[in-house]
Amino acid sequence: MRELTFTDAAREGLAEEMARDDMIFVVGEGIGARGGNFNTTVGLYDLYGEKRLRDTPISERGFTGLCTGAAVLGARPVIDFMFLDFELDALGEIINQMSRLRWMSNGQVKVPIVLRGGVGLASTGPHHSANLFSIFMHLPGLHVVVPVFPADAKGLLKTSIRMDDPVIFLEHKKLMKLKGPVPDGEHLVPFGQASVVRQGKDLTIVGISFTVIEALNAANLLEKEGISAEVIDPRTLAPLDLATILESVSKTHRLLVVDEDFSPCGAGAEIAAQVMEQGFYELDAPVRRMNGAFVPGPYSPPLEAAVIPSAQGIAKAAQALMVE
Amino acid sequence: MAFEITLPRLGWDMVEGSLADWLKKDGELVKAGEMLFTVEGDKAIQEIEALDSGYLKTLPDGPQKGEKVPVGTLLGYLVPEEELAEFQFPGQGLEPVPEQAVAQPAGLPLEKPAPAPVDDRKRRVYISPYARRLAQGLGVDWQGIHGSGKGGRIMALDVEQAALIKQKAAQPAAERHVITPLRKKIAEHMAYSAHTSAPVTLTTEVDATELVALRKALKEDSAITGQPAPSYNDLLAKLSCQALLEHPLINARIEGEEVVQMGTVNIAVAVDTERGLIVPVLKDVETKTLRQLARESAALIERTRSGSITYEELQGATFTITNLGMFEIDAFTPIIDLPQCSILGVGRIAPKQVVVDVETEKVAIRQCMILSLTFDHRLVDGAQAARFLQRVKRFIERPYLWMAG
Repeated sequence: MRELTFTDAAREGLAEEMARDDMIFVVGEGIGARGGNFNTTVGLYDLYGEKRLRDTPISERGFTGLCTGAAVLGARPVIDFMFLDFELDALGEIINQMSRLRWMSNGQVKVPIVLRGGVGLASTGPHHSANLFSIFMHLPGLHVVVPVFPADAKGLLKTSIRMDDPVIFLEHKKLMKLKGPVPDGEHLVPFGQASVVRQGKDLTIVGISFTVIEALNAANLLEKEGISAEVIDPRTLAPLDLATILESVSKTHRLLVVDEDFSPCGAGAEIAAQVMEQGFYELDAPVRRMNGAFVPGPYSPPLEAAVIPSAQGIAKAAQALMVE
Repeated sequence: MAFEITLPRLGWDMVEGSLADWLKKDGELVKAGEMLFTVEGDKAIQEIEALDSGYLKTLPDGPQKGEKVPVGTLLGYLVPEEELAEFQFPGQGLEPVPEQAVAQPAGLPLEKPAPAPVDDRKRRVYISPYARRLAQGLGVDWQGIHGSGKGGRIMALDVEQAALIKQKAAQPAAERHVITPLRKKIAEHMAYSAHTSAPVTLTTEVDATELVALRKALKEDSAITGQPAPSYNDLLAKLSCQALLEHPLINARIEGEEVVQMGTVNIAVAVDTERGLIVPVLKDVETKTLRQLARESAALIERTRSGSITYEELQGATFTITNLGMFEIDAFTPIIDLPQCSILGVGRIAPKQVVVDVETEKVAIRQCMILSLTFDHRLVDGAQAARFLQRVKRFIERPYLWMAG
C-alpha cells in the first residue's frame, strides 16, 4: 500500500469530499491561497477558489456563528482553526448554538460542521498546545475525533464531513509528518470503533492521540522486560468504544490510560470510571492514569519534555502497575 | 551555621579547575576578606579571599592539591566559633540513610509508610475485584491468602497459586503400607534372578487348533466321567515334561561348580493370588497321567488361593509355566525362577487367518498361540533352547505325538 503523511492523507480525504459534494467549503485563517498553516488545504484553492476556500480575519466567534447558520441552511462547512487554542474563542457559539440546535429543534435542524484544530505540545508554548479533549467530550451533540495514523486521518475526516452533527476533529502536531499506509480511493472509518494497535496479554494501555505512538514505543520496551502490553487507540473519544477496551481488560485485567491532556476530569478519568462501572470484576489492579503535568504547556524544550508522557515513563508506570 | 568553601568560577567559560594551595592552616581562624586559598584555572593562579569568618575546616576527603575538579566542588568549611565544638562534616555521625528512601525515584514525594497493623483488630484483607471473582469461581477461601500486591493486596496470581495448592492437596494421596513378606520374597527373588541370570527370550507362534480340539474332547469326557477336566496348563505341563525328558539340558540347574541334570520333571505353574504370585509345583509329572495332573493341580491351585498351601508344595520345581493368556497377552519376557534355567510364557489362544498351503494359496482360520521361552544363557545355548521350544511347539500342534511318551 502507498504511504502518505498524516496531513497529506487528511487533505486527500478533504479533497475527495469536496469533489463529491459542492456544499462543502472550508473557512479559516490562511487556508486559501496559502494552503493552511499546517498545509491542510494545499492545492484546493486552485481547484475551488475563494468561494469554497474562504480566508477569514481573526474573528473566530464571528465565522463560527456564520458557519453554524450556513450548516443549518444545508451547507457542510469545515472550519480550520489552525490550533484548537483558537477554537476556544468560539466556544460560546459552539456550545450554545452549534451543539444544541439539533436538540432544540427536535431534530428538524441538522448542523453538519467539522471543526479542525491542531492539538498537543510540540515546542508550541502555552497558547498553541492545548489538548482539552474533555471539554468537548463533556457536551451532548458533539463528536470528538482524535486520529493517530494517516489512514485514520483520511477515513475519519471523510466520515466527519458526512456527519450531520458537529465534529471536533483534533490533529496532534507531532503526528502531522507521520507516514503510514493509506488505502486508495474511498476509505471511511466509522466513529466509535477503537483500534487494537498492538496485541498483548499482561496489561492494556489506552493511548489518546499522539500518546498511542509513545505507548507503542513503551510496549516495545516492556516486551524486553517480559511484559506483554496491548495498546488501544480509541480513534474517537465521543462516541467512545468502551466495548473494545473492556474486552481487552477482560483479557489483561490491568488498565493504564495515557493522555497528554490534563488529568482532572480528563478522558482518562472518563475511561477509568466507565471501566470501573462496567468491568469492575475484571480488574486485578486499580486503573492507572498517566497524564501530562497539570500546567500550561511550557515553551522550554527541557520543561516540555518533563511534562509530557514519554515512552520510558509509560513503561515505568506499566511496570509499577504489574506489581500493584 | 558553617559556611561552605567551594571551587569558584574564575571566568564564564571555566568549568573545572584545581585547588592550588590553602593559604590558611586547617583549624586556623579566618576573617572575611583575608586570602584563603589559591585556585589554578586554565590560564592563571588566583588568590581567593574568604567571604565569611570562621575556623577553617578542610574537607578530609576533598580534592587533592592540583587535582582538577568541577566548579562548585566543596573544599571545606568556615565554622563559626560557637559551633566549633559540635561541628561535624556532613555524613559523619549520621545514621545510614534507609535503603527505601534511596530507592525512591527522584522528584516524587516520599510515600507514607503503610500503617503498622493494629494488634487488637483483625487485619483487613485487600483483594482485587478480579481476584475476588476468580477466587469465588475456583472455590478458594482468599481470606487466608497472603497477597503479593502492594500492601499485601491479593491479586489474581495469588488466587491461582492458592487454587493450585488446594488442587494438589485435594488429589488422593498415594496409599502406603508395609511390604508383605511374600512381596518382599518375590522382590528379592526376581531381582536376584534379573541380576544373576543371563536371560534370553525366544518366541514362536504355534498352531494350537489340535490342542484346543483335545481340550474340548477331554472336557466333554469329564462331563461323562465326573472327573476334573485337564486345563491347558495341565496339558502344557504334560507335553513340556515330554519335551524336557527329550532335552535333559533344559531340565537342569547350576549348583556351585556343577551342572545338575534333574532326574525328575517337577513343573511349577504360576498362580495369581490376592497376596501375589505363588508358584505351586506339580511333582514327578513324567509319572502322572493327565487326569492325575488335573486333580492334583486343581487341589494345589485351590490351596494356593485359599492360602493353605504348604512350604513343601512350593519347592523343587525344575521348570515353570506361566500363562497370561486369560489376560489377552500374546507374548512376554518372563523372568526365570532360579535355580531353574528356563520358564515358558504362554500367550492367549486366538483364532487367526493363516496360510496353510502356499502352493494352492489356501488360508484357513486356526487357533494360534505364542510361546515365550526365557532361558538362562549361562547354562543353555540358544540352539538348545530353540530345539526344545520347537519340540514343545510340535507337541502342541500334534498332541497325539507326545501321548506316545
